[in-house]
Amino acid sequence: MRPVLVIARAVVADAIRRKVVWMVIVFAGLLAIVAPSLPSYGVGVVDAVFREVAISLMYASSLVVTIALAATRVPGEVERRTVFGLLSRDVRRWQYLAGTWLGIFLVTGAVIAASTVVTIAIGGVVYGSLMTRLVMAAFAVWLEMGVVGAFGMALSTRVGAVTSSVGALVFVFVGHSISTLYTGGAANVSAPSYIPSLEMFDVVNAVSHGTGYSGVYALTMLTAFVAWVAILLLVATRVFQARDL
Amino acid sequence: MTAESLAIRIEGARKSYGSTAVGRPDAVTEVSLSVSHGSVHGLLGPNGAGKTTTLKMLLGLVTPSAGVFEISGVPAHLPGARSNVGFLPEQPYFPSLLSASEVLGLHAELLGLDRREALLEIDELLERVGLEHKGGTRLARFSRGMLQRLGLAVALLGSPEVIVFDEPASGLDPVGQRDVRNIIQELKGQGVGVLLSSHQLSEVEAVCDEVTILDRGRVAARGHIDDLLNVAGQTSIRVQGDGALPDAVAARIVEQAVVGGVAVFSVADADVREVIDTLYDSGWRLLAVTPKRDSLEEYFANLLEAAPVEEGGVT
Repeated sequence: MRPVLVIARAVVADAIRRKVVWMVIVFAGLLAIVAPSLPSYGVGVVDAVFREVAISLMYASSLVVTIALAATRVPGEVERRTVFGLLSRDVRRWQYLAGTWLGIFLVTGAVIAASTVVTIAIGGVVYGSLMTRLVMAAFAVWLEMGVVGAFGMALSTRVGAVTSSVGALVFVFVGHSISTLYTGGAANVSAPSYIPSLEMFDVVNAVSHGTGYSGVYALTMLTAFVAWVAILLLVATRVFQARDL
Repeated sequence: MTAESLAIRIEGARKSYGSTAVGRPDAVTEVSLSVSHGSVHGLLGPNGAGKTTTLKMLLGLVTPSAGVFEISGVPAHLPGARSNVGFLPEQPYFPSLLSASEVLGLHAELLGLDRREALLEIDELLERVGLEHKGGTRLARFSRGMLQRLGLAVALLGSPEVIVFDEPASGLDPVGQRDVRNIIQELKGQGVGVLLSSHQLSEVEAVCDEVTILDRGRVAARGHIDDLLNVAGQTSIRVQGDGALPDAVAARIVEQAVVGGVAVFSVADADVREVIDTLYDSGWRLLAVTPKRDSLEEYFANLLEAAPVEEGGVT
């Protein structure tokens, strides 16, 4: 387990010095600051709309960071041969992948946490209410980014960074529209539960306009997250194991 | 010598990247070599000869098609087998946003070194490879030679029993190359088994006890460097003096080179005594008498000329 944690820490140390991460945080912060000044805010339900915007910002910024790190890390390390030093030191390939994924997951978590704190603070100042429900959204977004990161990284064990980035975006799109694709958009028809999708992590309505979600639902999300990540990391390991470096 | 006492044992290594039926030859075929503790084994060959592929198979970076790979008597693919191996890849790179100390710290943690001991060893290693006071510098500011030195430090971290170098002097200036040679000699003295891949023949010639020469994925020659390079029946003589060599000497010379007042020439072993006496009598100063040996460059060129490249050779 030690190699996994050591590699994760190295990924975090490297990632927090990348400009892309800080640019995303600053950009998301600026957007959150200007969000309350949007014209549509004058006509009721302003705090609910703000929460929607805040979650969207949280989602977009973490997606950029996740894909920027997950799709590029492994191809970059293989291309620059920085991975040789690790793998020749008796680090198993699964440990390298698990450590890399964990590091990216932690960095994404930090980005989400930062944007959550900023948006809650802005919501508190502008609307006078503590929007702690945004933490629920942050948790769901973080779990989804863990899955997206695992997918992007799994893809990047075989193909290049650009293809992996596009693949991860397609995965997000399909993951969120698979029920619609399956049912053809028909009302009162839902896709069977055995069809894997990312829709479970979409809690925008529940958090923005409702009272959030239950503990049981959080547990269900967590279970789905663990299953997704385990399967994707397993596939990544199999593919990476078979690859000559 | 038992397999357990060997630092590295490679037996019948083969790597195929496609079907030989469609005309794609193996990148490596039937390569065997062994490295004892306290010795330096050179792996030589031109680009595409299979040197790096062989090293990568040993280190688990490339899956071998066949062969036995052992490190200190343990199959190299087993967990723990490579925990005591240092590796310097060709032109090593590291995450450019980290500092030299952070990279070494990462590897120290992977090795499970105690934090305090690791800090001491990192400082010591940085000094040893000529990077003292550079520990806190981000690697983005490192030159290629400095990265090579850092790679060397990473390979030496944890005092491994076995070290694999792939082109260790690549990118280094002459002083750096000399330092690398000194370090390799030190390692040898400490009982470390060193496998050194290079196409810098002078480097191999300076430090290796034994060499294996690869050509198009196969072992072309193997043995002690003296056995491979010494020219049977000839002696090399180096003398200093003015004017032309005496006629009695000149008549016996097989090959000659003169630079300034120093002459280097080879004669048949049977003529050595008479040639030396004549030179003394003529006032020449004898500098050296050694068995004649080819440079590795000459040896290598002869070997390749003797076995011309077939079409479809591995590149």
